[in-house]
Amino acid sequence: MAEQFAVTAIPGAETGEIPPSPVDRDEKTAFIYSLVDPLWDIDTLPLTYTNSRWSAFFYRADAKALRRVCPDVLEIEDDVVEFWYVDHNHTMLGPYGEMGVTVACSHKAGDGKTYYAGYYPYMYLTQDAAIDAGRVLGFPKKEAFIRVLEHGGAPDDGYGVYDTKIYQFDYFSFLMIRNGYVIHSATGKYDDADLPAKPKFYGNTEYGRMNMKVVTAPDVSSSEWQLIYLPSTVTKGLATLMNRPDSEGSHRFQVKPESIRTASANSIDWFMQATPYDNLGHELPPTELLGLMTFSFDLIIPAGETLWTETYTRDATWAGAAKPYRYGLRQRFPKPIGLGA
Amino acid sequence: MGQSVNVTSVPWVDSGDAPPLPLDRDRRDIISQAIADPLVDYDIVPLTYTNSRWSAFFYRCDEKDLKHILPKCLELEDDVVEFWYVDHLHTGLGPYGEMGVTVSASHKASDGNTYYAGYYPYMYLTQDAAVFAGREPFGFPKKIAYIITQEHGGKDDDGYGGFGNDYFNFTLERRGYLIHTATGRYDDAELPAKPTFYGDPRYGRMNLRLITDVSLRTTKWDLTYLPSEVTEPLAAAMGRPETVGQHRFQLKPESIRTASANAIRTWALQATPFDNLGAMMPVKELIGLMSFSFDLIIPGAATIWSQLIERTDEDLGDLLFATPYQYTMRHRFPKPPGV
Repeated sequence: MAEQFAVTAIPGAETGEIPPSPVDRDEKTAFIYSLVDPLWDIDTLPLTYTNSRWSAFFYRADAKALRRVCPDVLEIEDDVVEFWYVDHNHTMLGPYGEMGVTVACSHKAGDGKTYYAGYYPYMYLTQDAAIDAGRVLGFPKKEAFIRVLEHGGAPDDGYGVYDTKIYQFDYFSFLMIRNGYVIHSATGKYDDADLPAKPKFYGNTEYGRMNMKVVTAPDVSSSEWQLIYLPSTVTKGLATLMNRPDSEGSHRFQVKPESIRTASANSIDWFMQATPYDNLGHELPPTELLGLMTFSFDLIIPAGETLWTETYTRDATWAGAAKPYRYGLRQRFPKPIGLGA
Repeated sequence: MGQSVNVTSVPWVDSGDAPPLPLDRDRRDIISQAIADPLVDYDIVPLTYTNSRWSAFFYRCDEKDLKHILPKCLELEDDVVEFWYVDHLHTGLGPYGEMGVTVSASHKASDGNTYYAGYYPYMYLTQDAAVFAGREPFGFPKKIAYIITQEHGGKDDDGYGGFGNDYFNFTLERRGYLIHTATGRYDDAELPAKPTFYGDPRYGRMNLRLITDVSLRTTKWDLTYLPSEVTEPLAAAMGRPETVGQHRFQLKPESIRTASANAIRTWALQATPFDNLGAMMPVKELIGLMSFSFDLIIPGAATIWSQLIERTDEDLGDLLFATPYQYTMRHRFPKPPGV
């Protein structure tokens, strides 16, 4: 006879730390599927991050390449690109690694107003809830293997250098792999140099963030493109909802100045390649590497605003590009080993 | 001086093995974000699967539990649940592991038709492209998890294949918590019951998709429906007109193995802080296991029911369950090793 073991209590439900399933709540509070057990739920909102560690490579990219990766509704504002990794420790979505590219852009809206923002053409994360939470806001997130390391050079009393907020690690290593292919790796040593240039949106509260969200109909007959905008400062509504009225008007992204380390271009070894699955290395190669800036920060992510939409339709003859049962190099990729997401 | 190497060519675009870059194509060929490099691209459409291996546990579930987890637009049709693992080898999305639960249900549509289908309340997969190809646009409720599906032993092996498959082992883990594991040995017994939808082409598949606006002001609920048979347009799109009317899911009868409830040596199912399957659908009576190999085609889905939820400022406040900066057991979970 089979030995059966069933644990039917949900840990944390009895203490109120975990919300009831959406099937046991007002249906107005169901917003992500599955209905009975959403990939992420209302206990992530408002979405806050504490003491994450940002490492941003700055490089110049060709103006033509930048024009190409940004949608037509955006104007390019700067040729300095931010190519960043993040080690998120304490967030409402759990800890995760992240990598992305931000380009300074603007959008002239129908109401005559010009919106400035960092636009994300590429993003990668290490776990599913954070990917989906981002994709709902239009962030173009994929899953990848990401390593973010800083090490060496700091005194260590055995109780954690980070915990005492001493940011003295001298060496760094960053790595991103997806579907078995290395997309990027960079290693080096901080030299705390003054960097010759930074992206235009650094320290400029005029710049929010923008994404291009694509919503496709279940029958694939149409896709709506939505240009999404997140302002850079905390609005009154968000400050109230967080019960932190003092935060109104402050930047959503709070850099901790004492945590900044930099590396000049000469202190960085850099490898990047395009792969069959990810074209970043092809579309946005550096024309000039400027350096690396690493810092710790806190962050709040609010709901977004849709600035522009356009719908593309497909008729019944649209059949995609696959040759059924003839698997190409994008289909027979190595089986993911483990994948402890 | 730092050394810099940039490999800027995209492998095998020139040979046609990989599709042209999204930015070099008609915009209607972009079906997911990012527009510069979509997570799910048009070279997966039409979506076909070859020689996947399905392992379905059947169990009876309390009717109250089943009605509890079904959306209000569905009626329950059967108390026998399919609790399945799949080892996908050759698919348009690459190989991956999968686990899910299917419940027999029906929907009385406003046009008077009653649609019968297997409804999916839970699904887990091992890789991102397959998860989001399912979630966006079809509404499959997929999450990413660590999944093991193993069959092994019981046959002489000359090193050239023909491996034995008398023993089985399945495991599902997510965020450091074990959700399910089952082990045992096939005894090829007749199983006393199967879910209603087994062998019944009336039964398609249904999902409930929730699309929330970026302002969180609205959520559209779509009940999506996939018919069980290949339609004429799908057959034409695949270049296989002879498949019209065939079942999309082609089971290979010679590959079937079964295990009675007694041959399932261990079964552990638990609710975790992140996944409530063990709490919502506990086993009332374990019936057995059926494993088989199959081919599959997944087409576009029809939307057979919708509703729009609108939120006031007060309703938006109700979405904010968390206490900012006070992290609970669902927030400070262990950092995932590797991916």
